[in-house]
This record gives sequence, C-alpha cells and structure tokens, in this order.
Amino acid sequence: MIRLEKVSKRYKTKAGVRTVLDSVSMTFPKGRSVGILGMNGAGKSTLIRLIGDAEPADAGRITREGRVSWTLGYTGGFQQSLTARENARFVARIYGEDPGYIEAFTEAFSELGQYFDVPLKNYSAGMRSRFAFSVSFACDFDYYLVDEALETGDARYKEKFRRAFEERREQASVILVSHNEQTVRRNCDMAAILHDGKLELYEDLKEAMHQYKVLQTRQAA
Amino acid sequence: MASDVTVDLKSAWADCMQALRTQARVIMALVLRETLSRYGQQKLGFLWAFLEPLLMVAVFATIITAARSGNPGGIPLVLFMMTGFVPFMMFRDPMNQMQGAISANKNLIGFPQVTTFDVIVARAILECSVLLLVFPIILCLAHMFGHRIEVENPLGVLAACLLLASLGTGMGFLFAALTPILPSTRQISSTLLGRPLFFSSGLFYTADSIPPPVRDWLLYNPILHMLELLRSEFFHEFESPHGDWRYATFWSLGVLTLGMLVHQSLRRRAIVGL
Repeated sequence: MIRLEKVSKRYKTKAGVRTVLDSVSMTFPKGRSVGILGMNGAGKSTLIRLIGDAEPADAGRITREGRVSWTLGYTGGFQQSLTARENARFVARIYGEDPGYIEAFTEAFSELGQYFDVPLKNYSAGMRSRFAFSVSFACDFDYYLVDEALETGDARYKEKFRRAFEERREQASVILVSHNEQTVRRNCDMAAILHDGKLELYEDLKEAMHQYKVLQTRQAA
Repeated sequence: MASDVTVDLKSAWADCMQALRTQARVIMALVLRETLSRYGQQKLGFLWAFLEPLLMVAVFATIITAARSGNPGGIPLVLFMMTGFVPFMMFRDPMNQMQGAISANKNLIGFPQVTTFDVIVARAILECSVLLLVFPIILCLAHMFGHRIEVENPLGVLAACLLLASLGTGMGFLFAALTPILPSTRQISSTLLGRPLFFSSGLFYTADSIPPPVRDWLLYNPILHMLELLRSEFFHEFESPHGDWRYATFWSLGVLTLGMLVHQSLRRRAIVGL
C-alpha cells in the first residue's frame, strides 16, 4: 500500500506562498484503483509527483510498499532525442530490469513498427503515450501512477490497451489524477477530491462524482 | 534490546547498500545515454572526440611556427601544444558540458530514482573518461608520426590531469546548479571564463617565458600551475620553477567541494526553475 501521513507541500509563487497540500493523510489500499479529482490548478500533478517520489514533500511522510511506476501521462519521462528502443533500454537499466526483455516487450506491445527506431521528438502525442504505457507495462509495477491521460491511439489499439490494463488491475493498482469525471468513472473504483489543500476520499464513486459536481457549480458561481 | 539494535543497524546497512546500487545503476544508464546522444548520432561518431584537439594543435602549431622560431621550454612545438590543449580540455569540457546537464535531462529527472546529482555526475564521468582516453591515443598517434615520446613520470602526468578534471568538475557542479536559477551564468562561463582562461593558462607558452610582473599575475591562475606541473612530469628536458602542487591541489579540491556544496543547497530550486 501507499500511505501519506500529514504530507504538506507549498510553492512560492510571485503571488505569494501557495499551499498545494495541507497536512494530508490518506492510505491507498493495494488492489484498488483510486481516481483523484481536482480542478485546474488544484495541485493534482504535484500530488501524483509526490506519491511517485519525483519530488520531496515539505513535511510529513510517504511510505510505499511495492513497486511504484513513474508518473505516466502527457508530459515527460523520456529523452526526446533518443529512439523508443534506446529509451526502453534506459528505463530498464534504471529499474534494474533486463534491457533485452523490456525492449522486446515494449516493441511488441506498442505496435510502433518502424517508428520504434525513430527519435521520440518525431512522434505524435498518441504514439508517445502508447510508447510510455507500453514501457511501464513491461516493467510490471504494483502501482501505476497516471496523470490525466489513459486512453491512447486508435480504436483497435485502445481496446487492446484497455484489456491489458484490466488484466493488470487484478494484481496492480492505479492512482489516477484528472479533472475529468469520465476518465475517473471509467478507470477507477473509488475516488478522492483534491480541493484547497485537502484530500477527501469517497468509498462510493457516485458520491464522489456528486461532490465534485457541487464543487464545480460552487466554483462557477 | 541489544539484538534489536543489531538488526536495526543491519537493515540500515542493507538499505544504504541498496540505495548505492540503485544510484550506481542510474549513473551508468545515464552515462550510456549521454554517450549515445553525443557520439551515436553523427556519422563520424567517436572521431569527433579527436578532431577538435588535433585541429587546434595543428592550427596553433602552424601559427606559432610561422611567427617565431625556437621551441617553448626546449620542447618540440607539437608536443608542447598537445600537452597543453588536451589537458586544458579536461578542465574546460566537464565545466561546459555539466552546465546544461539539468535542463537537458529534465525529463529524466521525473523518474524518481534519477536525481540532479546523477545527471550532472554522468556528464562529468563521460567527459573526463573520454579525454583520459583521447590523450594517450593522440600521443600514440604523434609517436607513430615520428615525434619521439618518452614520458618522464606517467603517474605525475595522470595526477596533473586529475587535478584539471577535478577543477573542471567542480566548476561544472557550480554552473549546473546556478544556470537553471540564473540563466546569465551561461555568459559568465563562456565569455568571462572561457576565453581569458584559454589565453592565460599557458597552453602555448611556458610561465618562464613571460616577463616577471605579468607572470606573477598569471600565476594566480591554478590551471597555469597544473599545465606547468604536467609538462614537468612529462618531459625530461623541461622542469618548471613555477608549478606548485600545493597551490594547484588546493584550488582543485576547493572548487570541487564548493561546487558540490552549492549544488546540494540549490538542487531543489534548480528543479523548480526548469
């Protein structure tokens, strides 16, 4: 499981100090897929980066049991000037996996064909996320951290991807942040809302959706 | 009670070793990736590592031969140049390449096990090891083309090279940490430091050949000391009265320590600055 204990995170901005997380405590149980909803600027990306240990918290403790993926999503993660093959081998090396296996799995699963040997900077957004998710599947994590995007590619690949993800969810968990209720509804079985530095967990997905709606209307008004 | 403490120490030790292994693995992977993007994508590949120093030596040797006669310090001109340029690059290249390490690898820093320290160190390792490889190969080439080369004290030469590399690595750490926060640092390193050091470090003259009042000023430059020392260790016929091991070592290790400390205290802000 992943446990947050009184985790705080602040940023200094030109407009003053902004509190993204204010003493947040929460436990992400193993085998459950949790969606974290939050409006733009609520600090979703920061939260998932803290969970993934890509950034240190200012205060509090985060304990992780099991292998946690890097943050999957639109941004980042790879060297754009290198090919998918080279990036796959790089990821394998830093995670201590067999580069040959990771490379072969990724090549087959991503179905990028000849593009597998083309630098990532020449990829479309869809191809890029297809590659990112394929490598992370190859690594076999216990927790997959996802920032916004999950679906990727054309309809047929989407289906293959969805099935692979479903299979994996039986052993692995997903922690997904999104501003979009649909993404959470489709991929998660419980949800939390990040608002004003506080994280509220709802066992019931419907209840979370309702609260999020209320929040959105209040914010709009 | 006592056994609890032992178990605790043991697991702490195991954790520590595990962390070290991960870091070593990450740095190795980064060195590989830097090597690939530096040398793997051009047609000439690794030959580039030799072209620059060879071209520089050729150009300056020609100019100096045309301008005056006589060999500096009684050393054959081409060898004098080679023992100036390549060692100078051991200082300059780590400094220059490490400077951009954080911004060039900002995507990879998103991986939890990749730290700013790792990406900076990876570049230092690549630069220093390439030049430590290029130097003897260039000397062998010169030997094959008829310049008799006998190194008086290879270990002394290596020591001087390491002082240069460590000074450059220290500067590299300093600039790597400062550049994301203060982009103008880039101008400082290239304009304020690069050119003046190139001309004041004794790449194409000996300290002894400079008139005393100017020489005294130049001798504040630790790189001049390092090159003087290196040539003294390299050539039987040359013994510098000016090179000071203690002064050179003080600078080299001092700057390395300073650079690492500055990086340590700025690294969080450096990531935010991206």
